Amino acid sequence: MSRVTFEPLETDSMLLNFGPQHPATHGTLRIILELEGETITGSTPEIGYLHSGFEKLGEDLDYNQYITITDRMNYLSPLCNNVAYALTAEKLIGLEVSKRTEYIRVLMCELSRIADHLLNVGMLAVDLGAMTAFLYGFRVREDIYDLFEAATGTRLTTSYTLVGGLIRDIPKGFDKEVLRVLEEVDEVTDDIETLLNKNKIWLDRTKEIGVISKEDVYSYGISGPMARAAGIEWDLRLKEPYSSYEDFDFDLVIALNGDVFDRYLVRMEEIRQSIKICRQALEKMPEGEVNVDPDLGFSLPSKDEVYNSIEGLIYHFLLYRQ
Amino acid sequence: MNHDDVKSNVLTTTLESAINWGRKNSLWPMPFGTACCGIEFMAVLAARTDISRFGAEAIRFSPRQSDLLIVAGRISIKMMPVLIRIYEQMPEPKWVISMGACASSGGVFDTYSVIQGVDQFIPVDVYIPGCPPRPEGVVESLLKIQDLVDKEKLSDYALSDTK
Amino acid sequence: MLLEKAISDVKESFQEAILDVTEFSGERSIHIKCDRILDILSFFKEAGFEFLADLTAVDNLTLGGFERFAVVYHLLSHESVERVTVKAYLPEEKPTLRSVESLWKTADWQEREVYDLYGITFESHPNMTRILNPDTFDGHPLRKDYPRRGRIERSDFPLVKRGIRKEDETP
Repeated sequence: MSRVTFEPLETDSMLLNFGPQHPATHGTLRIILELEGETITGSTPEIGYLHSGFEKLGEDLDYNQYITITDRMNYLSPLCNNVAYALTAEKLIGLEVSKRTEYIRVLMCELSRIADHLLNVGMLAVDLGAMTAFLYGFRVREDIYDLFEAATGTRLTTSYTLVGGLIRDIPKGFDKEVLRVLEEVDEVTDDIETLLNKNKIWLDRTKEIGVISKEDVYSYGISGPMARAAGIEWDLRLKEPYSSYEDFDFDLVIALNGDVFDRYLVRMEEIRQSIKICRQALEKMPEGEVNVDPDLGFSLPSKDEVYNSIEGLIYHFLLYRQ
Repeated sequence: MNHDDVKSNVLTTTLESAINWGRKNSLWPMPFGTACCGIEFMAVLAARTDISRFGAEAIRFSPRQSDLLIVAGRISIKMMPVLIRIYEQMPEPKWVISMGACASSGGVFDTYSVIQGVDQFIPVDVYIPGCPPRPEGVVESLLKIQDLVDKEKLSDYALSDTK
Repeated sequence: MLLEKAISDVKESFQEAILDVTEFSGERSIHIKCDRILDILSFFKEAGFEFLADLTAVDNLTLGGFERFAVVYHLLSHESVERVTVKAYLPEEKPTLRSVESLWKTADWQEREVYDLYGITFESHPNMTRILNPDTFDGHPLRKDYPRRGRIERSDFPLVKRGIRKEDETP
């Protein structure tokens, strides 16, 4: 019998094209990876596969028309984008909206944040093979979609805000529905954490993976939960409160390691803080109009006035013709 | 075996309709999700509108294993060559759903970088209107595709020189 | 606080490069000539504005301004929660300025985006190529004289026909 000798094999690094259409990109990202066995030694990301010319589109639209486009920029939580855009336009014009509008905007933003974080965590879990967390998350996401549908008329492309107000007030009985959904979100958040927090596979594949240091945050201009997971105490809602966020009592969530696991923990805790904010917003919801005075020329007169008085009708057309 | 036994145990059909029956109830979709419609497509997979009721839950991200391409979302000029390539990699017979306004006509994105309807360049079988369509719309389109599959002729897929 | 001191210091040290200092609804902007951009931004970074929130550009073709193009830097200080906008103006004939990639890594991609959409080039940038549009793209779409519907780029693809393609056919 001849002896088998093991000589070291010739190895070479390998280039692998990942994306732009791949289940784990959840969108359109292409990465050219350099591999040394199973270790990634280098990567060149390539973007632009979803470049749609949003800015160019804005050249031909007026302020209110552009709100429909803001829905489609971040399709995980379109209401946040609506609000951000409306706030910008209002700051440019110098408009002040009513307290009720601000509270409804906060409520909607926080519901969107919950939906966004649930999808985020759910998709991360799917990529690591834990389909259950995704299905749990999507169940309450559908309930949140139902809430949006009741208030705005559509599930995803909401276009809920106007410059100087909202398309319409929240419907009657909305608060009870929101409270019911929040209960469920609370439960599902606990369920997902029970599933994942002590799961060996999950821990092995998220702890100390993709670490972002504090220096990286400044160098790469990272914000949001990613920065907070790296230990940066920065939350726009607390540091530069907009839309009456100063009225609400909630905590800044940070983590210290900056790895994937910490980002997941920050998102889960932020869902809990958002639930808190939503409950406070419903409790303290002020009465009043949701749009600024039509005489200022930024919002339309009430339908009652348009259909029942000739002045109202003339004014309605005048606003549209301008 | 007597005559009654044969009657209750044997089903006669044509090979074509048996194959089509099998195909239409086990479509393997390949979602080409780029934007908002991709998120709604996820909702179609999730619990409420569970697409597996129609036998199409086996999502395949490899075009070589799938027979239904779902173009969900706007397609930019940088993405179009990729989409054409993926369409060509799919084995025959194959069907294409154009999901949502952007894939069907460009939608609100009448700009330099968005394709004004993927049907300009690849064949599309079913269009779903909406921006984005509701999950129910996607299920309806799947049923429409099943009707199309039912009408397939095997002879269409014979190579032309053997005809 | 931090902002007032930084602005007055910049005014003093870079007198010849500063065109104007303006304020609009609480947002301070400094308008500068493009040649001292790297020095002014490193000055701000040292003064505590260490977060580059955004880097973008403006085409002043119909708006008017000091020059046709302006590259806009939005800086933020996490400690004092203040923001400042630096606008560097560039002439139409030679739209080129220094890259700030050495100060912030995030400027790498954002400068590539500005190059892609406005045709403004950045000196000593590590990889000055298009980022959003394909490399074969002709023109810079966010310039105001570029048509919204593009030229022909969005209809310039091969048509794929239904059915099995024969060997000798090309799509």
